[in-house]
Amino acid sequence: MSNWIVGCDVGGTFTDFSATEVASGRAVIHKRPSTPDDPSRAILTGLRELTEMHSIEPASIKRFAHGTTVATNALLQRKGAKVAVVTTKGFRDLLEIGRQARPLIYDLQVDAPPALAERHLRFEIDERIGPEGQVIRPLTDEALAALVEAIDGEDGIEAIAICLIFSYINPDHEQRIARELRKAFPETFVSVSSEVQPEFREYERFSTTLINAFLQPEVTRYMDRLQKEIRAVAPNAEFGIFQSSGGLMSVERAAQLPVRTALSGPAAGAVGASGSGAASKIDDVITLDIGGTSTDVCLIRGGKTALANTRDISGFRIRLPMVDIHTVGAGGGSIARIGTDGLMKVGPESAGAVPGPACYCRGGTLPTVSDANVLLGRLPKTLAGGGLTIDPDRAASAIQPLADELGVSLQDAALGIIGIVTANMTRAIRVVSIEKGYDPRRFALMPFGGAGGLHAADVARALGMKSILLPRAPGILCAEGLIVADLQEDFVINARAELDGDLSVVEAGVSALGEHALSWFTHEAADVESRMMTLHFDMRYLGQNYELSVEVWKGSDQPICPAASVLREAFLAEYRRSYGHCDPDAPVEIVNLRLRASGGLARAKTAAIFREGELKPFDTVDVWFAGEGPVATRMYRRETLPIGSEIKGPAIITQLDSTTVVPPDAVIRVDAVLNMIMELENV
Amino acid sequence: MSKAEIDPITLEITWNGLKSIADECFITIMRSAFSSNVKERHDHSTAISDATGRLVVQAEMSLPVHLASMGGMLKAAIELYGDDIGPGDLFVANDPHVAGGTHLPDINMAAPVFDGDKLLGFVANIIHHADVGGAAVGSMSGGLDEIYKEGVRIPVVRLYRRGERVDDVMRLLLLNMRLPDERRGDLNAQIAACRLGESRLKDLLSEHGGDGLRAIFDAIISRTELRMRRAIAALPDGSYSFTDFMDDDGVGTENIKIALEVVKKDDRIRFDFTGTDPQVKGNFNLTFNATQSAICYSLKALLDAEVPTNQGIFDAIDIIAPAGSFVNCVSPAAVAMRANSCQRVVDCVLGALAPVVPEKVIGAANGANTSAVFAGTDPRTGNMYVYLETLGGGMGARATHDGKDGVQVHITNTSNLPVEAIELEYPLRVEAYSLIQDTGGAGRQRGGMGIRRVIRPVDHECEFNGVGERFRHQPWGVFGGAAGKTGAFYLVGQDGKAEKLTSKASKIILKANALAVIETPGAGGYGEASERSLEEIHRDIRAGKISQEAAERDYPQFTAS
Repeated sequence: MSNWIVGCDVGGTFTDFSATEVASGRAVIHKRPSTPDDPSRAILTGLRELTEMHSIEPASIKRFAHGTTVATNALLQRKGAKVAVVTTKGFRDLLEIGRQARPLIYDLQVDAPPALAERHLRFEIDERIGPEGQVIRPLTDEALAALVEAIDGEDGIEAIAICLIFSYINPDHEQRIARELRKAFPETFVSVSSEVQPEFREYERFSTTLINAFLQPEVTRYMDRLQKEIRAVAPNAEFGIFQSSGGLMSVERAAQLPVRTALSGPAAGAVGASGSGAASKIDDVITLDIGGTSTDVCLIRGGKTALANTRDISGFRIRLPMVDIHTVGAGGGSIARIGTDGLMKVGPESAGAVPGPACYCRGGTLPTVSDANVLLGRLPKTLAGGGLTIDPDRAASAIQPLADELGVSLQDAALGIIGIVTANMTRAIRVVSIEKGYDPRRFALMPFGGAGGLHAADVARALGMKSILLPRAPGILCAEGLIVADLQEDFVINARAELDGDLSVVEAGVSALGEHALSWFTHEAADVESRMMTLHFDMRYLGQNYELSVEVWKGSDQPICPAASVLREAFLAEYRRSYGHCDPDAPVEIVNLRLRASGGLARAKTAAIFREGELKPFDTVDVWFAGEGPVATRMYRRETLPIGSEIKGPAIITQLDSTTVVPPDAVIRVDAVLNMIMELENV
Repeated sequence: MSKAEIDPITLEITWNGLKSIADECFITIMRSAFSSNVKERHDHSTAISDATGRLVVQAEMSLPVHLASMGGMLKAAIELYGDDIGPGDLFVANDPHVAGGTHLPDINMAAPVFDGDKLLGFVANIIHHADVGGAAVGSMSGGLDEIYKEGVRIPVVRLYRRGERVDDVMRLLLLNMRLPDERRGDLNAQIAACRLGESRLKDLLSEHGGDGLRAIFDAIISRTELRMRRAIAALPDGSYSFTDFMDDDGVGTENIKIALEVVKKDDRIRFDFTGTDPQVKGNFNLTFNATQSAICYSLKALLDAEVPTNQGIFDAIDIIAPAGSFVNCVSPAAVAMRANSCQRVVDCVLGALAPVVPEKVIGAANGANTSAVFAGTDPRTGNMYVYLETLGGGMGARATHDGKDGVQVHITNTSNLPVEAIELEYPLRVEAYSLIQDTGGAGRQRGGMGIRRVIRPVDHECEFNGVGERFRHQPWGVFGGAAGKTGAFYLVGQDGKAEKLTSKASKIILKANALAVIETPGAGGYGEASERSLEEIHRDIRAGKISQEAAERDYPQFTAS
C-alpha cells in the first residue's frame, strides 16, 4: 500500500513535484507556481493536485522528500532570529572583522554585510582553551552566572550561538555554557560551534554557527508546520529534508542544523543530474543549469557530485560539506549592454521574471539573452507549454540599438549576445573543472533548467566537450534528485598527526567516527535498505595551510584507518591531480577526519519504457547558427521521438518547459531511458 | 587577422578567456604554495603582458601594489635580454632599483610565450615571500637604512634557460633566505603557475594566431585607456592640491612631506609631486612603479571601480615625480615598508580630488599597512619561526555610509591569519583581537575603527618588529568630519607595566609571557558631526563603538538631547 515516493522542490518561480511508484516504477511530474510568502501553500495545493491528477492514494505516499529555500531566502533577505553570541574574552569582534578583507578591492562603497548578531549582543566570557586542548583560563560558575544575567537583560533574544576559541579540540566549556543557557532559557534555541562544525579556523566555525542560530527559529517553525500539514494529507509519509551536501536528513536534524539546508535546492539538481546520468550509464558529467538570472554548474565524477567545504552565501561564510556548485550571473534574462569601453557585456543584471525579456511581452524593453535566441530562431514562437506568447518583433526592437551602436546586423548582434553569454558560462565550468585539475573534455555536459538545451552545444564546443546528455525532464531535475536521494550524515573529527609519526590519535578518531555513524544508522536510519560509509582525511604538507580532502576508505562496516604508506600514496595522487605536481618526500600531516554515512532508501524499480512511432518534424523554421545566414531547421516535439531515433542537426526539439538546439554539425539520439545524447562533430 | 578586423564580440570573449588564464594561475599559486602568507592571506598576484611588457590582464584578486611591479620587471627583462629571450626561459627578479620591483620580499617571476620564433608576451606572477634574508627576520623590519640590509637583491636572472633549470641560481637564492624549504615551496608554486599560464596562452594562440592575439592585446589596452579618458574627461578642468605627511622613517627623519598637485584638462590628468621631500634614509621610499600603482588604484576607486587594470590606465595618466624624491627614489634607497607610503599617496589623491568627486571620496583611512613580525625559536621543537601579519584598521567614512571598521584598506587587501592557525603553528597566544572604541573620527558619517591585537610569546623569549604609520599624523576627515585616532604599539612587561613603543619598533625583545599590543589607526569622518542622527549616535553607544564621553564631546546634538 505505502508505495509512492514524492519529491518536492521549491524554487523561486515554480514548486516542482516528481513522484514514483516503488513497485511499478511508474513516474509522474507536476509543477505549480510558488508562493514565496508561504512556500507551504504551493506545496500543499500542488500535492493535492498531483495525487488527484494521477489517482495517487495519499495514504500510499511512503516518503516525502523536500528541497527548501527557506534558509537561503532568510539569509538573502536577512530575515532571521535576533541572535546573541557567547564568545571567548577578547574576541567579540572576530565575527565582525572576519578575515579583514573587503569584498571588492577598488569599490569604496561596498562592504561585507554586517554580522548577523549586533555587537551589543555578542557577549564575552572569561575562559580560554589552548591549541592542545588544555585549559588556560578556567570557566567559572561566577562567569556563567554573570552571562546568564547579561543575556537575561536583553529583550527578545530567540537564539544563541556559542563560539569559543579551540572548542573543536576541547568542547567542555562550550558544553557547560550550553547546558547552563538551555536551563536558564528553555525557550531559546542554542547552537554550539563544536557541534555545528568542529573544525579549526575560528572565523569560519563561528560564522557557520551564528548562521545556524540565525536560521533556527524560522526554519524549525516552518518544518514543524509543514510536517504537520503534510501528515494530515499523507499520514504514512516519512519526511526527508534535503541538505546542501546532497542527501536527506530528518526534520528533527534539519531543525537542529538548518544551516545545512542553505543550498538545498541547487544541490538537489546536482543529485538529480547524477541519477539521470546513471540511467544512461554516463557517470562523468558537468551540469549546466541555466535559469532566468543565473547559471549553476557542478562537476560529477564517477556518479558522485564534487563537494566544497567552504562557501559564501549572500556574503556570509559557511564551512560545511556542500555540493560544489558554482554560480554565475548569466541566464535567459541577462541583459546585454555596451560597456564604457565600447564592448558588449551580458549580465549580471537581469530582467528577471518581471518585466522579463522584451520578447515575453510583460513590459520588458531591454535586450536579453532570450531575445537573442528568439531573433535567431532558436526559441520557438510559441513555447510548447503554450503559457507564454513570444513576440519576435519586440525582441528585434530591443536588440536594434545594440546593433546600431556596434555597427553590425541585427543577427550579428544577437549572435554576439549568445557568444558572450557562452563565454561567461564557459568560465563558470572552467572554475569547477580545469581550476580543480579536471579536464572537461573527459566529461559529458548535462544541461537542464529552462534554457540549458539552448546553449549546451555552444558551451560544449567552447570547452572541447564532445557529448551532451539531455535529461528526459530537464525542467524538473531537482525534484527528481529528491526521490533518488539517500539519507545522509556527515561526521568530522579534528585529529592532527604527522603521517610519519604516531597515528594513534587518528586511529582513535576513525573508530570514534565509526561509532557515531553506526549509532546514526541505528537511530536515524533504521529502515534503510543499504549502508555505505566513505572516509576522507583532510591532509596537507606539513607547514601548508590548505588541506586536500582525500578519500581513504569506504565500506559498510566499522571503518578502518589505512596504513601510513597507503595514506601517503592517496595524498600524493590527489595532490598531483589537483596541482599537476607533488613532492614525494616532503612530510605530510592529517588535519581532519571526515566520515560520510549514507543509508540507501527504497527506490522505484526502473520501468521498461517503450515508445515507437515515426520520426516526424512538426515544422521547419529559419535559424541562424553562424553569421552566414539562416538555415532551414526542422522542429520536433520531444514527447514524440521514438527510442533509438537519431536526428542530424540542424534541428530544434521542444518540450513542455525547455528547448534543445541541435546545431548543423551535431547528431542527437534518444536512448532507452528517454534521455537524449548529442554528439558534436569536429570538436 | 589585422587590427581593423577585431570585432568587438570576439574581443570581449577573448578578453574573458585571458582573464580566466590569469585567475587560474592565481588559484594555482594559492593552492600549491607553502607559506601562510600566500595560502591564507593571498598576498600574491598574476598577470599577462604583451611582448613589450605592457600588462594586458591581471587576475581579479590581484593586489594593486603588485601591478606595476610585474610590469616593471618585464620591461627590465626585455631591456636586459632583448633578443636573447627564448622559449622555455623563466625569469626571476625582485630588485626595486634595477628590476622594476617595489620591495625585495615581492619576488616576480615571468615566462615568455612564443608564436613560432616571435615573442608574443609573458605570463607573470608575484608573491610576497615571508623572508628574503637581510638584516631583520621577515625582511620587513623598520629601521633599515639601505637596500643591502633588506634582503637578497635579485636583478632579472633566469631560473630556466630554454627549458633547463638553472639550479645554481636557485641554490644562491635559497642560501640567502631564512626559511629555504618554505621559499622553495613558494617559488615552485610560482614556476608551476608560469608553466600553466604559458600552456593556456598557447591554446588561445592556436585559436587566434599570433597576429590576432597581438591585435587583441592592443585593443584591450587602447579600449581601457579610452574608458579611463572618458571618465577623466567628465571631471571639471582645474588644478587641485593636497599635502600630507608621513610620521617618520624610523631612522631619524620625521614629518616627511608628500606634496601633490593634480592638473586636469580635457581627457588628460597629471599628478605632479614637485615639492615632495627628498628620499629618506629609512625604508619607506617609493620607487616610481610603487607611486604609479598607488595613483592607478586611487583613480580607479574614485572614477570607475570596474575599469580593467592594465597598461591602458597608466597610458591615461601623467606622473611627474622628481628623481631622488620620496616618491621616485634612486639606489640605494631602502624601500621595504613602501606600502605605508603608497597608502599616503592614495590619501593625497583622495584629498586633492575631494572637491571634484565629493560623493565618491572618503575620509582618510588608517593610512598604514601596519605590520607585526614575531620571530624566535619554538621551545617545543627547537625550530626557528617567523610570523608576519599585516593588520587592517579603519576605513574612511563615505558620503552615505560610515567607514568600515577593522578592514584592510586601499592598496592592500590581505586576509588575516586565523587565531587558531597562529597558535597551532607558532608558540604564541593571541589574547585579544578587537575593535577599539572611539577611534573612528566623528562626523555625519563616522570613520571606521582601528583594530587591537594582543599577542604573548608562550614559554620563550621572542623578537617583535612592528611598523606603523599615522601614529602621529591623524587620519583626517572630509567636509567637516573629525580625524580618526592614531595607532600605537605597546610592550606590557611581566610586571604588567605598559611601555609605549615607537611607530617603527625594531628588535624589541619580548620576555616569556610579556605582551605586545598592536593598535592600528581609525579613520576620518565625513561631514559635520552635528549633522549625525541621534539614532546613529545611540546605536554606536549601545554597540560600544563610541563611549558616552566621546558622544558628549563630539556631538553637540547628543548633549542637547
